[in-house]
Amino acid sequence: MKKDTLIMSFESSCDETSVAVIKNGKEILSNIIATQIKSHQRFGGVVPEVASRHHVEEITRCIELAMDEAKVTYDDLDAVAVTYGPGLVGSLLIGIMAAKTVAFAHNLPLIKVNHLAGHIYSANFVSDLQYPFMALLVSGGHTELVLVTAPGEFHTLGDTRDDAVGEAYDKIGRVLGINYPAGKKVDQMAAVGNDVFDFPRAMVQEDNLDFSFSGLKSAFINRVHHADQVHEDLNKDDLAASFQGAVLDILSNKTFRALEQHPVKQLVVAGGVAANQGLRKRLKDDIEKRNLDMELIFPPLRLCGDNAAMIGAIAQIQFEKGDFADLDLNSDPSLDF
Amino acid sequence: MKILAFDTSNKPLSVALVENGKTLAHIESTELKTHSVTLLPDIQQALHEGGMSVEDIDMIAVADGPGSYTGVRIAVTVAKTLAFTLNKPLVGVSSLELLAADGDEGMMCVPLMDARNNNAFAGVYLNKQDEIVNIVEDHHTTMAKLLDLLKTYDEDKLEFINATQKLTDLIREKFPNVKIMSSEDSLPDATKLAKLAEHKEPVKDIDSFVPTYLRLTQAEHDWYEKGNKDDGNISYVEEV
Repeated sequence: MKKDTLIMSFESSCDETSVAVIKNGKEILSNIIATQIKSHQRFGGVVPEVASRHHVEEITRCIELAMDEAKVTYDDLDAVAVTYGPGLVGSLLIGIMAAKTVAFAHNLPLIKVNHLAGHIYSANFVSDLQYPFMALLVSGGHTELVLVTAPGEFHTLGDTRDDAVGEAYDKIGRVLGINYPAGKKVDQMAAVGNDVFDFPRAMVQEDNLDFSFSGLKSAFINRVHHADQVHEDLNKDDLAASFQGAVLDILSNKTFRALEQHPVKQLVVAGGVAANQGLRKRLKDDIEKRNLDMELIFPPLRLCGDNAAMIGAIAQIQFEKGDFADLDLNSDPSLDF
Repeated sequence: MKILAFDTSNKPLSVALVENGKTLAHIESTELKTHSVTLLPDIQQALHEGGMSVEDIDMIAVADGPGSYTGVRIAVTVAKTLAFTLNKPLVGVSSLELLAADGDEGMMCVPLMDARNNNAFAGVYLNKQDEIVNIVEDHHTTMAKLLDLLKTYDEDKLEFINATQKLTDLIREKFPNVKIMSSEDSLPDATKLAKLAEHKEPVKDIDSFVPTYLRLTQAEHDWYEKGNKDDGNISYVEEV
């Protein structure tokens, strides 16, 4: 019988400190997530120096909780994995230094993980992945279409030219008086409002697979400012519905364009915006409408945001390939595929 | 007593392995290298030179600030994780006290960390034989205030340590003949860090051990300036 592999993984690229213990890349034995949202809400967005300070406060507590909950000792572990980019440099460094220290202290191999790859492999906890599969990665920092041709083999087909989709949600949320992170609230408002403002759907006529959200964001902000100047009262739910309607049209358009070029059996949607209920429903409906024989995989809500479990999932593949890092590992804040 | 000590709170890096006062290994770097890259390999090298494994260590000593925020965090994160994961005692020593240990015996030492815009992190320490006595606590200050505070001291007995050229110019205006150790010559020495740590109480709660920044972040400072107050019941970080 093949021996089980246990990997302790670290994630600290932005404002969550997370440590997990993952069995065979498939089973979550523990996934401790300490979120700093309440702290950064004071400032209306993530402040890097504040985030770095919180990571130092939380790091060993998270390790301890992850070990306890998984009921494992260091002798049970086979490797230590850590996100080394992309992300905030000061935040990344805390996870990296802690992971290197644990690996060094217990003589365990170290695995460096791309945060984006981690998000995509959060789907590994939901279904058995069949290659090639398509991934739509949507979060506060990223909007990408990625074709995954083999375990750990990523090909970016499309990327955002300006704002990430989650970033656009936060920016229009501010105009609506919603504190960061605004996505969930805008999604809820959109569910009761109507798409009446007809905001632009950028680049949907273009044949490439890239995204753009800054035009949409500006159109939204201009419309609200104009209404303020002429003392016109706009329905906020309708504004949210109109914004989200445009976002979903753009995401759907580009995703199915990519799927026409690269037919696959699975579509994975990952990242913080994958928690959006409007997006979940829209893609499900679109697949049914098109009669596609394709599995739509959304990670559970807890695995949509940043977490270390997803890092352990992709780390398992790297472990099997013998893709290990050295103790001189540094962060790579602008890492891409 | 085998002590692993390290400091990355400013540009230089220093790692030492000391056993009962005897230096088994000492690695220093003054080059502008990335501490996040070199610290673990340097610790590994020090242990190798000392012919021991990391489990053999009896205590971990770290310079815990003030200094470069990122620099201090690198050393503190490694120190607290190492102490936690191996269940070893951890001792934090002021990065300024460590600089004061480089001063001359009998002098009233004023270690500095340039905090830009004519500000500094500073403390006052009396460098006695085998003992560094804190006289004025480490604090963040304008240079004008610091120099005013020091005017009652005898210029012959004062020694400024780790002064950048900018700070040196400001000091010379008030104390033309005072002894100044430039930042190029002020190298924190982890062997001295190990020695200082031996006389201090280990950290009681490793989880709560964080750098001594001595300054709020700009964002927090501005937030309080606007009249905001902490709700005593709120925890800014929550496990979800």
